[in-house]
Amino acid sequence: MIVFDKVCFSYGVRQIIKDLSFSINSDERVAILGGSGEGKTTILKLIMGLIKPDSGKIIIDGEDITGKTEDELREVRMKFSLVFQEGALFDSLNVKENVAFCLREYTKMTEDEIDRKVRELLRTVGVEHAMEFMPEELSGGMHRRVSIARSLAACEPMMFLYDEPTSGLDPVNADNICKLILELSKDGKGFIIVTHKVVDALRVASRFIFLKDGELVFDGDSEKLLHSDIPDIQVFISELNYAGVKNV
Amino acid sequence: MGQWSAAVMIRLKELISDLQDFYLLSFRGVLNIFKRPFYLKDTIEQMDYAGAGSFFIIFIVSLFVGMALSLQLSAELSRLGMKVYTGKVVGISVIRELGPVVAALVFTGRVGAGMASELGLMVLGHQVDTLRVFGVDPVKKLVTPRIVSSIIMLPALTIIGDAVSLFGGYYIAVFVSNQSGALYWSSIREELIFENVFSGAIKPFVFGYLIACICCYTGLSTKGGATGLRQSTTKAVVMSIIMIIVSDFVLTRILLYVLGFSV
Ligand SMILES: Nc1ncnc2c1ncn2[C@@H]1O[C@H](COP(=O)(O)OP(=O)(O)OP(=O)(O)O)[C@@H](O)[C@H]1O
Ligand SMILES: [Mg+2]
Repeated sequence: MIVFDKVCFSYGVRQIIKDLSFSINSDERVAILGGSGEGKTTILKLIMGLIKPDSGKIIIDGEDITGKTEDELREVRMKFSLVFQEGALFDSLNVKENVAFCLREYTKMTEDEIDRKVRELLRTVGVEHAMEFMPEELSGGMHRRVSIARSLAACEPMMFLYDEPTSGLDPVNADNICKLILELSKDGKGFIIVTHKVVDALRVASRFIFLKDGELVFDGDSEKLLHSDIPDIQVFISELNYAGVKNV
Repeated sequence: MGQWSAAVMIRLKELISDLQDFYLLSFRGVLNIFKRPFYLKDTIEQMDYAGAGSFFIIFIVSLFVGMALSLQLSAELSRLGMKVYTGKVVGISVIRELGPVVAALVFTGRVGAGMASELGLMVLGHQVDTLRVFGVDPVKKLVTPRIVSSIIMLPALTIIGDAVSLFGGYYIAVFVSNQSGALYWSSIREELIFENVFSGAIKPFVFGYLIACICCYTGLSTKGGATGLRQSTTKAVVMSIIMIIVSDFVLTRILLYVLGFSV
């Protein structure tokens, strides 16, 4: 359970998040929508405790994380699996070592076991052939998928956080990622997907949160989203009219 | 006026919190050496890059510094009829002063700048955040190996550099200035007393530590894209050079006092 209670956050003098309050259960499939630079990534960073709010509380499973130290936060972070917007693979390590990173860090697996596990994870995301590649040799979509595989190796998360997993990908790859996201949450695990592609959000999520100028302007299901009369949302979903899929 | 002083106050506060963060990083970086997990592989990798990788440039620079020094001294001392002192003066200057400083400056340019830019790029690419997401302490994983490798490799490089400089000096003294090689070496050997060797040996440890801390700190505080990376790399090198020269003076003063030289 993630609860934001009147959270404010600013970079320098620029306020990015204003008095934001919401709560998300760990089995919910939530999409956070909003334009570029509205603070979507910032919200994910706040959940992970990577940045601290100026005021307000962020409560995760009943614990306020805003006052926790880096050491104490480790436990909280283990509950989530975050995939960054850019993928953020370690560029000095090849794909295999990237995926194996947490296995080496936290388990005492032998080389064989690691190899098998990494193969398995890469197969799940469909890039097994790229095992020996360096990150700079990967395409955007592969990068994203390896990054998902790496975070799967990290822990058994309670919830997945994806930062724009499909942006900049061709429709086929985007579709694959959506399938992967649904696949991973099959056993009732929730996720938060941050995106500005409504099509993808509608495919995977069941609850939608819309941000505008750092404030929550919409929170509801797909039905409500499609019939919302908020102008910004209408602009967002007009994309669907062109595609002719308004009646999904 | 009010605006101006407010701006100054903000700058001052930033400076103080910067300094505080820097001290904290330097402190934690060392403390982590004794805490699990030990990132041995990363440390060895860093040592290879910093040490073996810098050998060639240290060799060239030290050789020519030694030769130039010997040339200058031979010229000046022979005018005064004191050519026999060439070895002695070269020895003292190289072992106590030039060797450590030259090695540290070269190290800053080659290794320190690399550290700052590498860590800076990792920050910008969210790789450092990813480490934190995985519950790995970036200071332990990234900074400590670099500190360890610097305080081991810079002294080693300094010793090599010293030796090469002395050989360079020997070459000039014997083959250009026609002095006796045996005399050159014996006067250098006379200078290899505890006081000289100690004051030359303590410096590279301090320099190595300073370079690693400064460069890691500036690298990790990189903000704002390619321009930010340029700024932080430049800052890392500039700050390191200043700190090397200043701390060299301070150390020299302390060491001379402690070792009982009168100035
Ligand atoms: N490190 C930073 N320093 C200063 N400002 C920042 C920093 N990171 C983000 N910002 C600002 O904060 C605002 C929100 O950033 P955020 O990354 O959360 O946007 P976003 O909604 O994820 O956008 P996008 O869809 O483009 O990824 C942006 O306007 C950005 O300019
Ligand atoms: Mg973003």
